[in-house]
Amino acid sequence: MPLEGPARIVSELTTRGYNAEREAVTLIAAAERPQPTLEQVVEQLPERTLVVRTEHVRAVLEESTPASSESSPVSSESPPSNPSRDGDDSTDRPQNNPSVSTGDPSQPSPTPRTDPPVETEGSVDHIERSSDISRRSLEIANDMTGESTGTGEYKDFVAVFRDRLERLGSKLRGRFNHRPASAIQSMPGGSEAAMVGLVNDIRSTASGHWLIELEDATGTFPWLVMKDREYADLVEELLCDEVLAMEGTLADDSGIAFVDSMSFPDVPRTYEPSTADRHVQAALISDVHVGSQEFMADAWNRFADWLHTEEAQHVEYLLLAGDMVEGVGVYPDQDEELDIVDIYDQYEAFNECLKRVPGDLDIVMIPGNHDAVRLAEPQPGFDERLRNIMSAHDPRIVSNPSTVTLEGVSVLMYHGVSLDEVIAELPEEKANYDEPHKAMYHLLKKRHVAPQFGGHTRLAPEKEDYLIIEDVPDIFHTGHVHKLGFGKYHNVLAINSGCWQAQTDFQKSVNIDPDAGYAPIVDLDTLDVTVQKFS
Amino acid sequence: MREVDQRYFSRLESQLDEAFDVAETAKERGADPEPEVEIPVAKDMADRVENILGIDGVAERVRELEGQMSREEAALALAEDFAEGNVGDYETKAGKIEGAVRTAVALLTEGVVAAPIEGIDKVELLSNDDGTEFVNVYYAGPIRSAGGTAQALSVLVGDYTRALVGIDQYNARSEEIERYAEEISLYDKETGLQYSPKDPETKFIAKHLPIMLDGEATGDEEVSGFRDLERVDTNSARGGMCLVLAEGIALKAPKIQRYTSQLEEIDWPWLQDLIDGNYYENDDEAAADESKAADDGDDDDEADAEAAAEEDDAPPEETGPVRPAPSKKFLRDLIAGRPVFSHPSAKGGFRLRYGRSRNHGFATGGVHPATMHLVDDFLATGTQIKTERPGKAHGVVPVDSIEGPTVKLANGDVRRIDDPEEALEIRNGVEEILDTGEYLINYGEFVENNHPLAPASYVFEWWIQDMDEAGADAQALLDDPRIDAEHPPAEDALEWAREYDAPLHPDYTYLWHDLAVDDFCALADAVANAHIENGGETLVLERSETVRDALETIIVEHRQREGRLEVDDWVPLARTLGVVRDEDGELTRTWTDDDLSERARTWGDSDGADSGDDKRNSSGGANAIKAVNEVAPFTVRERAPTRIGNRMGRPEKSESRDLSPAVHTLFPIGEAGGAQRDIAKAGKHADTMSDTPGVVEIQIGRHRCGECDTETFKNRCPDCGARTEPDYRCPSCDSAIEPDEAGRVECDRCDTEATCVESREIDLNKEYRDALETVGERENAFDILKGVKGLTSADKIPEPMEKGILRAKHDVSSFKDGTVRYDMTDLPVTSVRASELDIDVGQLQALGYEEDIHGEPLVHEDQLVELKVQDIVLSDGAAEHMLKTADFIDDLLEQYYGLEPFYELGEREELVGELVFGMAPHTSAATVGRVIGFTSAAVGYAHPYFHAAKRRNCDGDEDCVMLLMDGLLNFSMSFLPDQRGGKMDAPLVMSSRIDPSEIDDEAHNIDIVSRYPREFYEATLEMADPGEVDVQIAEETLGTDEEYTGFEHTHDTSDIAMGPDLSAYKTLGSMMDKMDAQLELSRKLKAVDETDVAERVIEYHFLPDLIGNLRAFSRQETRCLDCGEKFRRMPLTETCRECGGRVNLTVHQGSVNKYMQTAIEVAEEYDCRPYTKQRLEVLEKSLESVFENDKNKQSGIEDFM
Repeated sequence: MPLEGPARIVSELTTRGYNAEREAVTLIAAAERPQPTLEQVVEQLPERTLVVRTEHVRAVLEESTPASSESSPVSSESPPSNPSRDGDDSTDRPQNNPSVSTGDPSQPSPTPRTDPPVETEGSVDHIERSSDISRRSLEIANDMTGESTGTGEYKDFVAVFRDRLERLGSKLRGRFNHRPASAIQSMPGGSEAAMVGLVNDIRSTASGHWLIELEDATGTFPWLVMKDREYADLVEELLCDEVLAMEGTLADDSGIAFVDSMSFPDVPRTYEPSTADRHVQAALISDVHVGSQEFMADAWNRFADWLHTEEAQHVEYLLLAGDMVEGVGVYPDQDEELDIVDIYDQYEAFNECLKRVPGDLDIVMIPGNHDAVRLAEPQPGFDERLRNIMSAHDPRIVSNPSTVTLEGVSVLMYHGVSLDEVIAELPEEKANYDEPHKAMYHLLKKRHVAPQFGGHTRLAPEKEDYLIIEDVPDIFHTGHVHKLGFGKYHNVLAINSGCWQAQTDFQKSVNIDPDAGYAPIVDLDTLDVTVQKFS
Repeated sequence: MREVDQRYFSRLESQLDEAFDVAETAKERGADPEPEVEIPVAKDMADRVENILGIDGVAERVRELEGQMSREEAALALAEDFAEGNVGDYETKAGKIEGAVRTAVALLTEGVVAAPIEGIDKVELLSNDDGTEFVNVYYAGPIRSAGGTAQALSVLVGDYTRALVGIDQYNARSEEIERYAEEISLYDKETGLQYSPKDPETKFIAKHLPIMLDGEATGDEEVSGFRDLERVDTNSARGGMCLVLAEGIALKAPKIQRYTSQLEEIDWPWLQDLIDGNYYENDDEAAADESKAADDGDDDDEADAEAAAEEDDAPPEETGPVRPAPSKKFLRDLIAGRPVFSHPSAKGGFRLRYGRSRNHGFATGGVHPATMHLVDDFLATGTQIKTERPGKAHGVVPVDSIEGPTVKLANGDVRRIDDPEEALEIRNGVEEILDTGEYLINYGEFVENNHPLAPASYVFEWWIQDMDEAGADAQALLDDPRIDAEHPPAEDALEWAREYDAPLHPDYTYLWHDLAVDDFCALADAVANAHIENGGETLVLERSETVRDALETIIVEHRQREGRLEVDDWVPLARTLGVVRDEDGELTRTWTDDDLSERARTWGDSDGADSGDDKRNSSGGANAIKAVNEVAPFTVRERAPTRIGNRMGRPEKSESRDLSPAVHTLFPIGEAGGAQRDIAKAGKHADTMSDTPGVVEIQIGRHRCGECDTETFKNRCPDCGARTEPDYRCPSCDSAIEPDEAGRVECDRCDTEATCVESREIDLNKEYRDALETVGERENAFDILKGVKGLTSADKIPEPMEKGILRAKHDVSSFKDGTVRYDMTDLPVTSVRASELDIDVGQLQALGYEEDIHGEPLVHEDQLVELKVQDIVLSDGAAEHMLKTADFIDDLLEQYYGLEPFYELGEREELVGELVFGMAPHTSAATVGRVIGFTSAAVGYAHPYFHAAKRRNCDGDEDCVMLLMDGLLNFSMSFLPDQRGGKMDAPLVMSSRIDPSEIDDEAHNIDIVSRYPREFYEATLEMADPGEVDVQIAEETLGTDEEYTGFEHTHDTSDIAMGPDLSAYKTLGSMMDKMDAQLELSRKLKAVDETDVAERVIEYHFLPDLIGNLRAFSRQETRCLDCGEKFRRMPLTETCRECGGRVNLTVHQGSVNKYMQTAIEVAEEYDCRPYTKQRLEVLEKSLESVFENDKNKQSGIEDFM
């Protein structure tokens, strides 16, 4: 089968303003007379159709020569990327290898192209990756790379927490007749009151009730949750420094209020996620840990090879939620367990891994706690030197956390260090390592990726709180705990991707069995998840 | 006991009695908590045990049993006595068991440590599920100080007594068994155990233990499973219990078994299974055995394992010399400012010499004082060093009868420096320290650490025995005044080697084993081609890199001149190289390279033996000693086969012990005196204008006068002067409670503990003025009088303020128990000279010293006398402090107690002969000592037995001295904090005489001979076990008349204080200065790899500091600058919620990145690994990212245009 065939067909279709499914193109190419078939298909397309689908072609072919329909399976024999080949296929065909963002990387949001890109001709080599690059869209929000203005002053910290209360509080204020802490103190005993604030302290009283101190910009006020009230259960979900609203009745001396209800910023139950208006997929992975002796190069290669296959033809986006490499100095005597000791060599090796995936993928990366950026969150994206190393396929490198919107579907990417804390603080049944997505639900509910200050997560004060979940994402993507888990919270898809690092000695000693070598694939048009296993 | 010893002790005791009488009289008059001296005297261990426990009759019984049986058996016999009620006055069964258990622990720890009182909380009876009663023993953290064996035996004794008094065994519930397992793992993780049993082992023990082990919570961390058990009070780890189960029962099972098998009443058949490891339920028994064996590692076993490994490392086919394997352990956790003196077994490092100097043994290492100066004064007498072998750490002592260091000067000359003065003179011109000199370690050190003997250096004391063996009359050589056998001229040395066919004298034996065979050949060539000048005195070699390196490697002193190298006294060198001088004066090499045997040519070829720093491109061996012996006309032994790596640990210490902040009196003044706790200020303090100044509300013990019923907080009635008693009241029903005989005050009706503590208004101003008046002092007698904020004792009885006034006057401060203390690093000494102690012969004679160590009459200051066991040498600082304390005591006696002064010391020499208390941390018994003299070293020299009586060794440990009368007058139990461990470090009892059998047995391993036999040296070459050789150690004289005497030494030293008085670590200012000096020194020392030092400093000091502070920064607390209120998180109000004051961070940028630039510079300058540099680079970027504004970076010159 001449390779130019499909390319020419795609080119032809795009000049006429159509995109095409890969199989549709294959079918046309396989027809006895492709050119007339193409003409026929176009002619018979329904009004306002944008994508030439397989069924359109089938209809035409069956109509003209019913017998030729058998030829369609041939298409699937078109060789996928050669799995046995060790070399890097993308480098073998650099001139043909298109990359959607080669144009101008500084342009943050490439608008869907309407003109037929010249490169498309080349995109259809033996792998036959999807040809509708022009329909892709990728927008970044909340990236603070290069925007780190905090200088570690006391006032910077205060500003961050005030910003948190202001912005998350605004999601609650409309719902209550709330008062500042100082005003509540002077209200008469027995009156009803409501307050929006940061959790400052959680204590149990001698009689088993809970005393929760809420703080706002005027001061603090203690709220008592009786142990037999329905809200008592919620207390154990609370983390310090999250924003919530409480309603209740003031005690006679107005020194304390009895809680009648408690509300979180939360995701509305009725939230309706956006979806892509075509069948397109994204692979959500994290924790590659290149450089570690436990890095699973074989699994990674199988993954990369699979991306070249027909099965993966709709995977057009690759999201990496941190820990590209194992890093240096992450724990004592780490050098003894490193396969690659030099940090820059680690990123070089990671780049080689990256080169293996199809060149037309749109890639977005955020750093993690093993990466060579500051540990305090928010973590800015990699510096120039590392960006220059990780240049394969020109990935978008943004801060942790950041929100990336793929064809209308917003994905909040966060590495996930705070998950450790959520899992440690919350009761086992509400958050545990085997169901990491459940811990993620709590972050969604709190509308903050790392609420608690002073514990596990580190905070670098910036002019605003970048860790807030300002807008409800359609997908929430984390990693870090090396466990695979996903589920939906108020229709938001939470995915914690597994890792590409086999069990380490440390993990063995604490009995953590990582989910290594999995790639969750999300259908952006339905938000359904399929998991591909490569280990 | 010899009569002279008898006299010595009688004398000490009568002196003690005199002081006691004075103190008793004083105490009767004063207003102390008790009208009598509170430190009971214990003549022996039995007394100490009784006193520490406070159970009458124990001492008598212990003495009865002591002669007949071992101490462990005595503990069991005493258990019977307790059970039958013959000893102790206990009514309950639990009481009897408690008495027996405490006594057992006290007995096994020689009545010195606090474990029996602090480590066992209580014993109680609880019910099994079937209704029967069982015994529960509550342990607490301080049981640690008892050690594993005593811990394990306490359980056995508890069980034995249980059986005797007829109580059932404990049947552990399954959740309790699981709890033990979880808890021990938790404790191990949190605190760490010497031996960590695996879960099945723990469960096995828990299941079979016939009594329940319980205890107080010691950690914050809680177990996650098995919580809230009915019979376990806490969810936290119970440290005492974990120690007893893991380090006691599990680790010492074989020892307990020895005793259970002798006892009919109790039967622990499961011990055998425990020992065999048969505690796994089914199939994986083999694995269990293995893990048991593998984990069986306390320190001794580790040493064994190391030893085994070392033996394995010796090449099987003998292609190289026998050497112990280098060990890097001592380099761990290197700290900035504390230098490395030698890398593990590195060439140019300390050369092991065997012997014991008179100020040596008991975990110390002898260093030449010239070396101390040349390592830039980092080593001083008493400085602790971490060593490669045989143990972990040593205290440094100066010994000048060993060889000093060899240095290369800036002009290229290589000289050995044996004189500390010379070391100071040339120090600035030293370019490289080629060899740090010898390092003296005594045989006993190897015994104590159970370390195989490392090959000995060839030294004079070995050579002379070789001569004897070879048929020379060694004694005649030594006695002949015309012959210097130790440092003979070359002709004599060569003549002896020829005549007797003995090995060449060590003075002319060079470090051939450090020279590669190829270089040896090259050197022989160079010598053969050299010419002779200066009338035959000087050998002139052509200067070349190889030759110069060779001479520096084997340490031949020489001069470097333009194009030539000059060696004096060269004949032995030439002869050893197989070069002869014929009658014409021509030098000829008698051999060619090919004459060397294959073995000699490749000796030491194996790449393991040496540190591998000199990679040779030739095929020759790295060790020329075999070649030497093939070409030299005599035998040449290895001059220094063993090098000892070491680094600095702690600096030496000699300073007064102050509480922080220092206090003069244990009188509470609350916050009234400000942060300084100034009593005068408190006397004027008033919270508001309406308050009376000086009246402050304070938590204090209420007393009542028995005579006139006056209520007061004083020990004497302010109205009638009678003594008062604490007035205990039940907090619920307010009835007055009298303490029972055990001292417990419990209200029977309410079942609550009564207390005499109340909040009371005290007029501090009046108290202060009254006290001043009582002692007749004016306020200007002192700068400031500091009290305490509050009292921590149970009854909160304050100290009479008068004592504080006098302390302030004499500028001494009080410890928590009312005593004045001075801390010093412990060092041993067994013989002393009057001259070095700054005393004269007359004073020595007055102390009962009549003869010198050779039995000659004592006539002049330079004669050595053997130190008596309780005589101690004070540092200059300690002496000065003691003088001030003595003045304080005299004033106290006169002005407060109304008695005659006791000391009346003018000059410090008058301190000689005065008694003091020696007392170590974690113990509860003081040992009486007598001052014999003074030293300028910042240490406390005393007989090793004196240190051992306090349960200290000398590896850098420190403890304190107190003046006797101070302890007698001012110590009170009533001041001790009412908390776990409060009774530690307090003289609950004093030992008036040392019984060598009743001290820490580590001291029994000190060798006490004047020379080691030739067999010893030969055995070291085979790395024999120290037990296989015959050198007399102190243990052998125990129980004989000789037990207090005969501590001979193999090496003398001219003064016990030589080298610098203080380590440079203490004299250098900032941490940066110290680190610069440390790195500078590492460059100079040939045996030190400066890159490694820099790496380690960065890795173990800078990086943890940087990372830790950065982490702390990003999750820090904040604090109000005005009121001190702390906030977990920055308050949203920005200002302090309490006082409206300014709030600020507790961790600032400055404290986070203070080491950043230094670390980067050091990494660059000392060429650290890229890994280290990259870690710093990543960190630096992190710091920038956190602390710098991306928008404000100065990106170029245009920013300024």
